[in-house]
Amino acid sequence: MSKRSKNAAVSAQPKKPLGQRIKKDLKKNYMLYLLLIPGIIILILFKLGPLGGMVIAFEDFSAFQGVFGSKWVGLENFKRVFTDPYMLTLVKNTVILAVLSIVVVFPIPILFSLFLNEVRVKKIKDGVQILSFLPYFISSAVMVSILYTLVSPSYGLINSIIEFFGGDPIYFMAEPKWFRPLYIILQIWQTFGYSSIIYLAGITSIDQSLYEAAEVDGANRWQKMFRITLPQISSSIVIMLIISIGNIFSVDLDRILLMYNPSVYETADVIQSYVYRIAFESAGFPDYSYGTAVNILKSLIAFALVIIANKLAAKYSETRLF
Amino acid sequence: MRKKRAAATLMALALAGTLLTGCGTSGSTDSTTAPATEGGETAGGQETADGSKTYTMFLRGPFVDWIEELKWYDEAEARTGVHVEYVKGPDNETDTYAEVDQRLISGTLTDATLCRQAQANVYGAQGAFRDLAPLIKEYAPNIQKYLDGNPDYAKLVTNEDGTIYGLLSETPTLADVVFYRADHFEKAGVDPAQIETVDDFTEAMKTLKAYYGQNNPNYYPLCGRETFFRFAAWFDCANNISSEESNGIYYRSAKNGMDIYADNFYHMMEVLKGWYDEGLVNPEWVAGSYAEGDWEAAMLNGDCSIGYDFFTRPQWFMDNGGPDVDPDFQMAVLDNIKDENGNIMKYQVDLPYNERRATVINAAADDETAKTIIQFIDYFWGEEGQTLCSWGVEGESFEVVDGKKQYIVDYSTEEAKPAGEKKWSFLNDRYTVCKPVDDEAFYEWNGDVVKEAASRLFDEEHLMKAYNIKFTDEQLETLDTLTASLGEEITADLTSFVTGQTELNEANWQAFLDDKEAKGYKEIEQIQLDAFRSTYGQ
Repeated sequence: MSKRSKNAAVSAQPKKPLGQRIKKDLKKNYMLYLLLIPGIIILILFKLGPLGGMVIAFEDFSAFQGVFGSKWVGLENFKRVFTDPYMLTLVKNTVILAVLSIVVVFPIPILFSLFLNEVRVKKIKDGVQILSFLPYFISSAVMVSILYTLVSPSYGLINSIIEFFGGDPIYFMAEPKWFRPLYIILQIWQTFGYSSIIYLAGITSIDQSLYEAAEVDGANRWQKMFRITLPQISSSIVIMLIISIGNIFSVDLDRILLMYNPSVYETADVIQSYVYRIAFESAGFPDYSYGTAVNILKSLIAFALVIIANKLAAKYSETRLF
Repeated sequence: MRKKRAAATLMALALAGTLLTGCGTSGSTDSTTAPATEGGETAGGQETADGSKTYTMFLRGPFVDWIEELKWYDEAEARTGVHVEYVKGPDNETDTYAEVDQRLISGTLTDATLCRQAQANVYGAQGAFRDLAPLIKEYAPNIQKYLDGNPDYAKLVTNEDGTIYGLLSETPTLADVVFYRADHFEKAGVDPAQIETVDDFTEAMKTLKAYYGQNNPNYYPLCGRETFFRFAAWFDCANNISSEESNGIYYRSAKNGMDIYADNFYHMMEVLKGWYDEGLVNPEWVAGSYAEGDWEAAMLNGDCSIGYDFFTRPQWFMDNGGPDVDPDFQMAVLDNIKDENGNIMKYQVDLPYNERRATVINAAADDETAKTIIQFIDYFWGEEGQTLCSWGVEGESFEVVDGKKQYIVDYSTEEAKPAGEKKWSFLNDRYTVCKPVDDEAFYEWNGDVVKEAASRLFDEEHLMKAYNIKFTDEQLETLDTLTASLGEEITADLTSFVTGQTELNEANWQAFLDDKEAKGYKEIEQIQLDAFRSTYGQ
């Protein structure tokens, strides 16, 4: 019997009612469902449940009156967002940082894992990998302190080198044009090793016979890297890219608050730092509602971008996140 | 197989049970009723086994550490028979007040706490905090006397309907002073007595630069921390407010605020830029990228000679390694700068009452607890309590000579004691209990440099008067939104002018002023004026 006729025979059988099928499935796999319960509880309590709190964006929220007792103001907070003259600057700064993160930071761990995979001495390979993801565990405060020390115009290593070659010291932390490169460099430094783990895991699962066949065909290492390894991990790359696009408005607030100063506000002030000032640093009553309204808008745009990216990925690479 | 299944089932159930248990709440979740108090059986103003009354209070972490070190505070608890169980909050003020909100939500707020005045009034009106007015009237004669004798304070803390939800702490008269390395001045041949005007000051810096800068590329005569734009008072450009006019952003920045539309402001910018261009001021400080540690190191190491900062700072440098680095190290405080007509330029001061430190009583605290709390606070507003928190115990920390109190414990010895050790300390700019402050005692409890400077400069002739202004919730919301962007933008733009990223010329300056006006600067001034008139009358 051909495969098609087998399937036809199966589908010809009358389908049992949904309730019965669920009951049967529960009975058969009850152990798995039982193990799933804690995860579902976590999902509901800590991921889905708090989403309801977003309603405070439509209220004049008071912590004492709570979500149900606070005064309903409708779209008032959203109107404030759109009429805030400073919002354009903030959106511009946030998006530029986010785009730079995707364009510059995103490819680094991919390239790193490709090259690290070519290291033949296992001890060196493991050592480099461990060292590369160590910065991930260093706090932003320490990272920024190290950066300040390195780029200080009076005693920093970078400026000492510049002066050694006859240049003038550069006030890296005080020039708006240097804020974004420094932010991105810190991000690369802190995350590239950790992010590369996903790609390295993908690389280890590639069928070795592909490389053997390529060798027989006379492929060199570069060809194997870009014709076999890279295409084989393309699914992981696409999924990571979609996730990165989802985080397009999420910048590292700690890092920004530690790095920004009056000289670089022009490029460093982003949506999050502004919301932080309004919601938490205000001298008046804490305005959580406005902060939530800004974040909802931010999330909606990011969600739309993820949907678009997912569709494009499905169309052009046959990979998608959902 | 069955055993394995049973074990797996139990594990899964246990895990789910643990999760659910962890999600429980210990307090009331009913938003329409007052929040529960934390503290259990011993809280609630009830007497403990030793006969003392107790209540709980959530406070910022460092405040609790300070209180626990104070000998006079222990004495106060012993004399009043009240013991406060402090619940330690985060180190940071912003985080602490965010936690007050969280505690309100979760119903775990203590009997009393500290919050912003805006929080006190909004939450108070909603029923979260007790109205202190009847409590004061009945149980706090000293506070009532203070309210009667200080109508400005009474207006500030009393709402239109007569309620008082938060009591504000009094702030000592605090101002910044210009201090300098006296040994540097002497070696470079600069006579501080000759420095009267801004021009004299600039010339002195040039002399210092020529002397110390020739062999030290990192030497800048003037350096500091936080904002560089703190010289407005020197040029008659400080923010100011009265019932007639409001100039500059007064809200949140009474001490360092500026009036960018003042006649002299452009001139001030030219002078500041001149300092920057000639290497007289540390460029990293101007840029805002100079950390406090960098500044302290520069002052101690001789990379800098002049500072303009909090008035206790010169003594701090004397006590924290100055003479160890250089045996000649000596700090002194400069007189106020004068204008070209010889008039003393008055420096800005902090607000007389700290609106970020309002003491409130949880509405859920029972009557007995509320009475205990207000009576304990009231003790410090009376003569005995004031003497205790300002001078300590007679014979132990102070004595009276010719009718005048003087400390018999040494400031440097006591303040040098390691953290956690009990000591006599009277640094009353630190929060301990909500109370008035004895300025005389506060200045007296300092090193010689500070004592001398405070006695010479902290009077009406040298300092401006600052005003607490009471804003409505709507005014606060608008001010918060406007200043969240404008405040930062103005500093950034001024920095850009000084560093040369934006050329300082009439056209650019006018564009800067127009831009700020379009973004709500004048609206801020109008709101401030309205609020001032509402607080103090026309």
